[in-house]
Amino acid sequence: MSHSANKLNIQTNSWLVRIFLSAFIGFMGLFILGPLFWLAIRAFVTEWTFPNLLPDGLTMRWWRVIADDGSLLEAIKNSLIISPIVVLISAAICLPAAYAFSRYEFLGRKTFLIGIFAANAFPKIGLFASIATLFYTLNLMGTILGIIIIQVLGTVIFMTWIPAAAFSAVPRNLEDAARDAGASKLRVFWDITLRLAMPGILVALVMSFLAAFDEAQGTYLVGVPTIYTMPTKMYALVLNYPVQISAVFSLLLAIPSVILISLARKQIIGGQLAEGFQIK
Amino acid sequence: MSKSKEVTVGDSLAVKKTARLSPLGFFMALPPVLVILFFIGGPILLAFSFTLGFTTGPNEIVALIGQEIYTKTNWWGTLEAYKSVFSDSRFPGNLKATLEITFVATTLVIVLALGMAIYQRIIGGRLATILVALSLVPLFVPVVISAFAIRTFYDGTGFFKTIFYHFGLTFPTLTMTNNAVTIGVIWTSLPFAILMISSGLQSVPDALIETAQDAGAGFMRIIATVMIPLAFVPIVIATTFTAIGIMGSFTIPYFLGANQPTMLGVEISNFFGPYNRPQHSIVMAFVIFVAASGIGFFYIWANVRSAKQSGRI
Repeated sequence: MSHSANKLNIQTNSWLVRIFLSAFIGFMGLFILGPLFWLAIRAFVTEWTFPNLLPDGLTMRWWRVIADDGSLLEAIKNSLIISPIVVLISAAICLPAAYAFSRYEFLGRKTFLIGIFAANAFPKIGLFASIATLFYTLNLMGTILGIIIIQVLGTVIFMTWIPAAAFSAVPRNLEDAARDAGASKLRVFWDITLRLAMPGILVALVMSFLAAFDEAQGTYLVGVPTIYTMPTKMYALVLNYPVQISAVFSLLLAIPSVILISLARKQIIGGQLAEGFQIK
Repeated sequence: MSKSKEVTVGDSLAVKKTARLSPLGFFMALPPVLVILFFIGGPILLAFSFTLGFTTGPNEIVALIGQEIYTKTNWWGTLEAYKSVFSDSRFPGNLKATLEITFVATTLVIVLALGMAIYQRIIGGRLATILVALSLVPLFVPVVISAFAIRTFYDGTGFFKTIFYHFGLTFPTLTMTNNAVTIGVIWTSLPFAILMISSGLQSVPDALIETAQDAGAGFMRIIATVMIPLAFVPIVIATTFTAIGIMGSFTIPYFLGANQPTMLGVEISNFFGPYNRPQHSIVMAFVIFVAASGIGFFYIWANVRSAKQSGRI
C-alpha cells in the first residue's frame, strides 16, 4: 500500500503542533537509539571514566580478544549452524501447511487454525519450563536436538501464517488463466503461485531465521551449561566479562538482524508481517 | 486497494465452499499441528500433572533430579506444591510486579503505537515517517542486546547520569529497578504494536474518513467513531500479543530488574535451573498461564471474529 496516496486533506501546519512533534521525535530518538549508540561506542574504547563526556581512548583490541577466545567462537559457530537448520526444518514442516490452509477446505481446518494460534498465546518462559520438564525424560536437555526443537516452536507461527496470507493473496483467476493457456498444474504452481507468494515466504524465512538466531530464553533453559549459542553466551558475558567485550559481541550478534531486516524491510513494513498475524 | 482484496477473498471462498473436503489439504496441514500437539500441548498437560504431584511416568526423571518435590496423596493429586509457592513470602510481591509491569507497559505501548499510527494515517508527512521508522528500530535488535544496551544506558555511569552530573544534578540509577524493566519491555514491544495497528488503520478506506469529515466530524470524533472501530481487531491482537509477550519475558527483567521483587519469568527460570525446584517453577508458570489465559481469550476471540467477518471460517 502506498503511503503517500492515502494522505487526507487535514492540514496541521500550526507551529505549536510541529514543535511538539519535533520534541517528541527527539525524545523517541533518544529513547530508542540512545542505548544502542551508548553500547556500540564501547566496542571501540579503552576505558570510559565516569563522569567524563568522552572515552579515555580508542582501541580495537577488544575485537582481538573475541577472536582469540575459543568459547566465544564456539558460540558463534553453534549459532551459525543451528539457526539455518531450524529454518529448513520449519520450512519443510510449515510451508505445505501454509499452502493447505490457504487453498484447501478440510476436516478440522478451523480447529487447526485456532490450535496454532492458541499455542502462541502461552507466555514463553512458562512454556519453556514445561517443555524442559518433558525434555529431561526424552534425554533432550543439553542437546543440539533439544535446542533445535525449542527454536522451531518459535518459528511455526511465522512460517505458517505469513506464507498462508501470501498464498491467499495470489489471484485465482491468474492461475486459472494459465491453466486455460495449457500450463500444467505444477508449472502454474512454480511459475505463478510460488513466484507471487515469494515476498511473503521470504519475510517468513527472514523472521524465522531471526527468531531462531535471537532465541535466548528457551535455548538458555535447555542448552546451558552444555551448549552456548551467541545470545545465551551474552548472559555469561554480561555478568563476567568487561563491558567492552559484551559490546563487541553485541555488534557481531546484531549483524545478521540488520542485514536481513534491511533486505526485507519493504515487505515487513508493507504489511506482510501484520497480515500474517490474523487468521486467514 | 483493500476493496479489490476483499473481492479475491470472496472469490476464493466461493470456490472453497463448493469444493469437497480435501484429504490432501488435511495431511499437508497436519505436521505443524502435530509438532505443536507433541511439544506444546503434551508438555503442558504433563507439567500440569507434575504440579499436582504426579511424579511417575514421563515426570519421573525431573522428579528425581529436582528437590522439594511433592508427590500426590489423593487419586487426583495434591495441592502441596501450590501451597508451598503461595506461602513463599516473595511470591505475592513478584506476582504483583509482573502484573503491574505488564499492565503499565502494555498501556503505554498501545497508547504510543495508536498515537503514532493515527498521526501517520491522517496527517502523514516526513515527520510521521521518521517517527514510525524510528519506532521500528527495535525490530532489528536481538532482545539480549536491547536488554544489555538499556542496562548500560540507565546504570550508575549511564548517559543521563553523565549529562546531569555536568549540570550539578543527580539522575536516578534506573538499572536494577522495575522502572528499567518497564522501559525495556516498552522498547522491545513497540515495533510489533505499531506494525499491527498501522496496517489495520491503512485498511480503513479514505472515503469513509472523508465522508465523516464532510459531515462535520472533528479529528477526535473521526478517530473514535471511524478509525478505532474499523481497526478494532488488529488493535486487540496488538494489545493481547504485547501483554502476553511481556508477561512471559525473561531476558529484560533478568538484565534490568531488581533482585526482589522481580518478574515471575526470572523466578521461573531461577527455580527451574539454579534453585533446582522444578515443581515450584512449573506452579509459577501455571499462575502466569492463568493470568494470560484471560488475555489469550481476547486474542483468539478477536481473530475468530475477524475471520468470520470476512467469511474465512
